[in-house]
Amino acid sequence: MLPLVTEMSKPTDLVQGTLDLLLLKLLALEPLHGWAISLRLRALSGDVLQVSEGSLYPALHKLEQEGWIKAEWKTTENNRRAKFYALTRLGRKQLETEAANWKRLSSAISHVVQLSEI
Amino acid sequence: MNLQRLLYTLPLRLRSIFRGAQVERELQEELRFHLDHRIAEGVARGLSAREATLAALRAMDGLEQQKEEMRDARRIHWLTDFVDDARYAIRSLRRTFGLAAFVVVTLALGIGMSAAAFSMVDGLILRPYPVPHSRDLVDLVSTARDNAFDDFSYREYVDIRRLAKSYDGVIASTDVLPVGFSAEPATPARIKAGMLVSGDYFRVLGVEPQPGRGFREEEDLVPGRDAVMVLGPDFWKHDFGADPSVVGRRVRLNGTDFTIVGVAPESFPGMLVFQRPDFYIPLAMARSFAADRRKNFFEDRDHRVLTVRARLKAGTTLQSARSEIALLAQNFTREYPALNRDRGAAVRTLFEMRTRGDFSEWKFIVVFGVLSLVVLSVACTNVAGLLLSRGQTRTREIAVRLAIGAGRFRVIRMLLTESLMLAFVGGLGGIAVAYAGIRFLHSLSVPSELPVLLPFRLDERVLLASLALSLVSAVACGLAPALQATRTDLVIGLKAADADAPGRRRLWGRNALVVAQVSLSLVLLTAAFVMMRGFNMGADAGTAAVKDHVLMARFDPRLMQYTEAQTQRFYQRLVDRARAASAVESAALTQNPPLGLNPFDRIAFVPDGFVMPRDREAFTSTMDTVDEGFFETMEIAILRGRGILRADSADAPRVAVVNEQFAKHYWPGEDALGKHIRLDARTGPRVEIVGIAQTLKYRSTFEKPTDFVYLPLAQHPVPRMNLLLRSSGDPHQLVDPLAGVVHALDANMPISDVRTYADVYRYNVVEGPGTGVEIVATMGAVGLMLAVAGLYGLVAYSVSRRTREIGVRIAIGASPSDVLRLVMGKGVVLVGTGATIGIVLGLVLERLLNAFLFNAGGVDLMAYAIVVPSLLTVTMIATYVPARRAARIAPTQALRYE
Repeated sequence: MLPLVTEMSKPTDLVQGTLDLLLLKLLALEPLHGWAISLRLRALSGDVLQVSEGSLYPALHKLEQEGWIKAEWKTTENNRRAKFYALTRLGRKQLETEAANWKRLSSAISHVVQLSEI
Repeated sequence: MNLQRLLYTLPLRLRSIFRGAQVERELQEELRFHLDHRIAEGVARGLSAREATLAALRAMDGLEQQKEEMRDARRIHWLTDFVDDARYAIRSLRRTFGLAAFVVVTLALGIGMSAAAFSMVDGLILRPYPVPHSRDLVDLVSTARDNAFDDFSYREYVDIRRLAKSYDGVIASTDVLPVGFSAEPATPARIKAGMLVSGDYFRVLGVEPQPGRGFREEEDLVPGRDAVMVLGPDFWKHDFGADPSVVGRRVRLNGTDFTIVGVAPESFPGMLVFQRPDFYIPLAMARSFAADRRKNFFEDRDHRVLTVRARLKAGTTLQSARSEIALLAQNFTREYPALNRDRGAAVRTLFEMRTRGDFSEWKFIVVFGVLSLVVLSVACTNVAGLLLSRGQTRTREIAVRLAIGAGRFRVIRMLLTESLMLAFVGGLGGIAVAYAGIRFLHSLSVPSELPVLLPFRLDERVLLASLALSLVSAVACGLAPALQATRTDLVIGLKAADADAPGRRRLWGRNALVVAQVSLSLVLLTAAFVMMRGFNMGADAGTAAVKDHVLMARFDPRLMQYTEAQTQRFYQRLVDRARAASAVESAALTQNPPLGLNPFDRIAFVPDGFVMPRDREAFTSTMDTVDEGFFETMEIAILRGRGILRADSADAPRVAVVNEQFAKHYWPGEDALGKHIRLDARTGPRVEIVGIAQTLKYRSTFEKPTDFVYLPLAQHPVPRMNLLLRSSGDPHQLVDPLAGVVHALDANMPISDVRTYADVYRYNVVEGPGTGVEIVATMGAVGLMLAVAGLYGLVAYSVSRRTREIGVRIAIGASPSDVLRLVMGKGVVLVGTGATIGIVLGLVLERLLNAFLFNAGGVDLMAYAIVVPSLLTVTMIATYVPARRAARIAPTQALRYE
């Protein structure tokens, strides 16, 4: 019944750990449920960042268990119960750290890339 | 930061653990929500419902895997795995119920015995003082050549308190003293346990009496001024019905009125291991309680009767406290050379105090502790052996688990969980066994005047110890089988139902187990025999002959405010009238009967004409004060010279009777008769030795021959004496005549501690030591039982594995007796090896026990003559039963096997 075949693709789609950063950033803007997050990810990053829907939920659960985001069951506009995630105070700190790290990393990499072009 | 994280994560973890089902439902619902939207999206794009569903699932990249990953995120895997393992363990153990029950019983015996032994070790050695910050408390002791744990005198205590800088308070207390107590002045006095303590005793210990108060320090300043007392909690409850209004009430102690000022709290039963003071009195009131009127408690620097304790100041090391007290002792020696010539002082920890050499109880306890651990290790090896053979039959299951991808560690964990379950249930049983053991110890009643309490109890410390023992035994008996089971060769494991790896190596471990068990139980039984022999060595020494005919009663005329002269007259008339009473064959007075419970006094003396070493003031010896009837009443033989006579009165020349050991010790090869000794070092009277008595056992039946001196009561007056009455028949018939005699002399004189000598004797010679022997013998028997069970299991197992081989042998013409020989041969070799090792270890242990506890001496051939053959017989039976079964195997059946 269940699709046991996993498409062993797209491991390169996201740099390790950046999914966490993206999720934290999205949730910093407003509390969202999983489906909304996946829509948002698709819309915001176009086709550049392809986040597998499968890896989205484990990542969310991990962030929750780390205490960075917290979940709450709320009713959606079309009257279904959904699990909404929101950033915690710890999560905000974590976002700051990760964003800073990302900036450092990306500027370092783009610096190197520019060097090699000369 | 960490705490803040905990704030978020802890509720989540707890929720995952306790509301697991709901968490799981929410997970499903969350994913369902996502999938529904995805499917709706697909349908909107024009896919069929089925196609949309499949696409949605495909997009999840393996739904179940993602779920598993989400569950992993909860970080409670270790727990859920454990619960799964535990469930599985219970199921699989229920399938092999007999084995599991046997293992549990085995472990329960081992753990229970060790826990009971721990409660003894704890009660006697480890348990801290029942006061706050008990770690800071140290004992200060005076040290002399023959006593490294001597007490201090009052003067010395006052000096130490004044001069020592290392402490936040130095307190002193006496031993528990028998005190005549009457709640109303008119009622006759009863003997109760009183303790003299310094005024700051409760304050320094951090104990706050409630109701009422502790002593004020000025109440301990002026001798005889403040007659105040603090009650102990038990005494308050039992004798005053826990009435809070006792504070302020006046009661009478040794004829003096005292005011109760407070009650010590429940949490403070006192500082002693075996006794609980009924009440506390300031040291300043010592005169009313003096045991020896010739000594002045407040002035005599060599009247050393005070236990001194101190609370170390924060930051002061034991080291610096030790050097300080050593310095103080040097000053004492300089200032009082006559009294402190070969004396030092030391700081001792509680542990050092409780494991002092002159205190034999703890040694027994340590022996019990070690032996019970031996039993536990026998039990563990046994269980390990059983689990090992069980592991063998589970080869296939484990091979399958390993083959389908379980990590070796995971499988080991699963197997260890099983042994943990066994050990846990065994531990519960062990607590029951320990409880029974402790109850058994409490069934001993000590026939003493002041109640003696055995400090053994099943408290949280013992429970904790049982838990720790269970865990240790779980690992001890589970790890080796688990390691072995997971080392299986997969190919062989999967092929055969239960495979035996080729070679002998595999059986080696189990053989070693049996050998170890046989030898250890042999060692235990040997120990039991050695102890029994040690205790029985002197059981018939001297006083056994009269034990069934002597009645004892204790008197203390101080309780009636008698002067020394009145006391002497009282005793003289008491013993005269007792002799005249009907049914009394003979009567005597003694300070302590031999093999009684109270310690004998010691005297310092110098044999006349003896040149003492420069650094040594005098020799000391145990002694007793007796009257002229003593040797006859107790039937103690006078070997040469004479006993004490009535003529040895206060104004006659001073005489003494010594025992043979004493005579041999100080005048080897000479006749001690007619020689003189000088008492109380050089200053005392010169005493002629007029008789030499047989050497008895004085304190215990296994003591080494001890020097002993008897002094006549008239020349060495002592206030507290025991009257001994001997009848030709049952000594109980003397109780009424005794009461009549005493009543005629003084109607109010309390008679305490009336009991037959047989009571005391039985306790000291039979029951006390007997308990020890019983404990060790029980351990030995349990050990042997375990060893036999282990051996039986092993042989039966190896027979079942060799069924096919045996069938072949019988098919090609072996007779049943050949098979019997074949199978039993193995058992014989194992038992023989175990017995040999056991005998060697037993010899070593016997030597140790002799050096440590007894004076039994020599090798106990009897013990081996009894133990070894019985062990061999029993183990032979254990091998015979499975061997006979093997011999009866029908070849056809055997060849079909597997």
